[in-house]
Amino acid sequence: MFFNSIEYFLFLPAIYLIFYFTPDRFRWVVLLSGSIFFYAMLMQPYLLLVLFGVTLATYVFGRLIAARSEEKEKKRLFWIGAGMNLAILVGMKYLHFITENLDLLLKAIFGKSVIPISPVIVSIGVSFYVFQAISYLSDIYLEIQEPERHFGYFALYISFFPKILQGPIERANSLLPQLKKPYEFNYDNMRSGLLLFTWGLFKKIMIADRLAIIVSTVYGNVNAFTGLSLIIATYAYAIQIYMDFSGYTDMALGTARLFNINLTDNFNRPYLATSVAEFWRKWHISFSSWLQDYLFKPLQMRMRNWKSWGSVIALLITFFISGLWHGAAWTFVIWGLLHGLYMAVAVLYKPLQKKIYKKLKLNGTKILKLWKIIITFNLVSFAWIFFRAESLGDAVLILKRLFPLDPGKVDIVNLYELGRFETLILLISLLVFIMCIKSVNKLLKSGTYLRFGTRYLFYLFLLLYILLLGNFGYSDYIYMGF
Amino acid sequence: MTTFERLNEIFCEVFDNDTIELKPEMTANDVDGWDSLSHVNLILAIETKFAITFSQKELLTFRNVGDLYKSIEKRLESRK
Repeated sequence: MFFNSIEYFLFLPAIYLIFYFTPDRFRWVVLLSGSIFFYAMLMQPYLLLVLFGVTLATYVFGRLIAARSEEKEKKRLFWIGAGMNLAILVGMKYLHFITENLDLLLKAIFGKSVIPISPVIVSIGVSFYVFQAISYLSDIYLEIQEPERHFGYFALYISFFPKILQGPIERANSLLPQLKKPYEFNYDNMRSGLLLFTWGLFKKIMIADRLAIIVSTVYGNVNAFTGLSLIIATYAYAIQIYMDFSGYTDMALGTARLFNINLTDNFNRPYLATSVAEFWRKWHISFSSWLQDYLFKPLQMRMRNWKSWGSVIALLITFFISGLWHGAAWTFVIWGLLHGLYMAVAVLYKPLQKKIYKKLKLNGTKILKLWKIIITFNLVSFAWIFFRAESLGDAVLILKRLFPLDPGKVDIVNLYELGRFETLILLISLLVFIMCIKSVNKLLKSGTYLRFGTRYLFYLFLLLYILLLGNFGYSDYIYMGF
Repeated sequence: MTTFERLNEIFCEVFDNDTIELKPEMTANDVDGWDSLSHVNLILAIETKFAITFSQKELLTFRNVGDLYKSIEKRLESRK
């Protein structure tokens, strides 16, 4: 059951009503059973077992770590708990990739297949809640978080349905206390939650899903397209993935807000970043801050005597892992390493860059800022080529056709023919997005922005626009795959 | 000079800014240029100047200047 499905439009009001009419001390039961039901609707029974395993192991080890006073013992228990979580993740997501590559290697040595290749398993949600579980164990080990004693609340913290499939990856100190607060109906949360959900739905089905038509036409058959179409498809993908994932996040946050719960916002205008490092502070924030706190910083601190080079190595390792986290394929690894490389180069180039800007008197100018935004967006978009390409071979082919640019015939006309109506709707939707984004942000903050009539006219317009022109298919989300 | 004053001096040196006036509740957001990369230089400078070594665990739990200061005091104390 995805957020943009008819089932969810039935599920959400139903669980809200049950929640509303249940006394406070049983409300966690409603949310927990609703969350398990939601996850069970993926129709992969073993996933429930995985969820239960992660929840139980993390709960038990959280308490064990806190109960010990000796540092060595705490550390050992932390590594066992985190190791179990990682083992589950590797088993679910990487066994196919590992055995496949190992098989290739062994074939080259022995000349024949000697190990069986493990099948691909659906693992929706696992990489998100496993990371959340590891952050929980780390915080307890670092003694900045008390372990949760109530198994029900803890299970809800791991499986809360708005965030189980694709995050945000929540820290215990931010989500757990909110789950325990007594519920009181709050008109403004209801209003802004529903608006945020609808806005996210708009981004997802009116923009992302329609851009997807262009992107998958080109990326699905790279051979048939040349320079300019490839460029357009790549920029289209940059916009698509933003609309897809930030749309999903809006729907997750909007849903949680109905229950008076604030989840972490994953996006803060990422394409206006002025450096790749800043991009990562604005893109998939709950994930990038996880990487920063639990991977990059520990590595960087351990290698602190190597100064800048320590940071460079820490960056490369962190983004290598980030790539792998997104998917068990070499394309993702290269995408991650590219980002690591961008930032590593920036670290080493920074002193020189400072001097150049000073000499050219560019510091603080608008032109420099704009220049940086454009460069950053293009670096990020370039990396998306590897992220989106269906194979390493495809990615290489695209690069060959872009460098040097072979404009060829602009076969984007063929794209247009693909769906004239779809293209028109897409353009109108993009226009609506650009025109309304500021007002929507203000409306989300304050229920008195705009006059009553105008406000409700806008709500009505958004709703009708989506209902009349939206495709309520069962299109899945890009980040669901990770 | 007190430990806190010495710490303040190190901050001014590392971030190349003489106007920094440390307060215990200050965080990375309050000091210009205090990001994860300059943080390493800061920690190294503190370790060298005070001749102490932080533990890995300590380094991951500093939330503000106050936490950092307390750790320095603790390290200096245990050396006596």
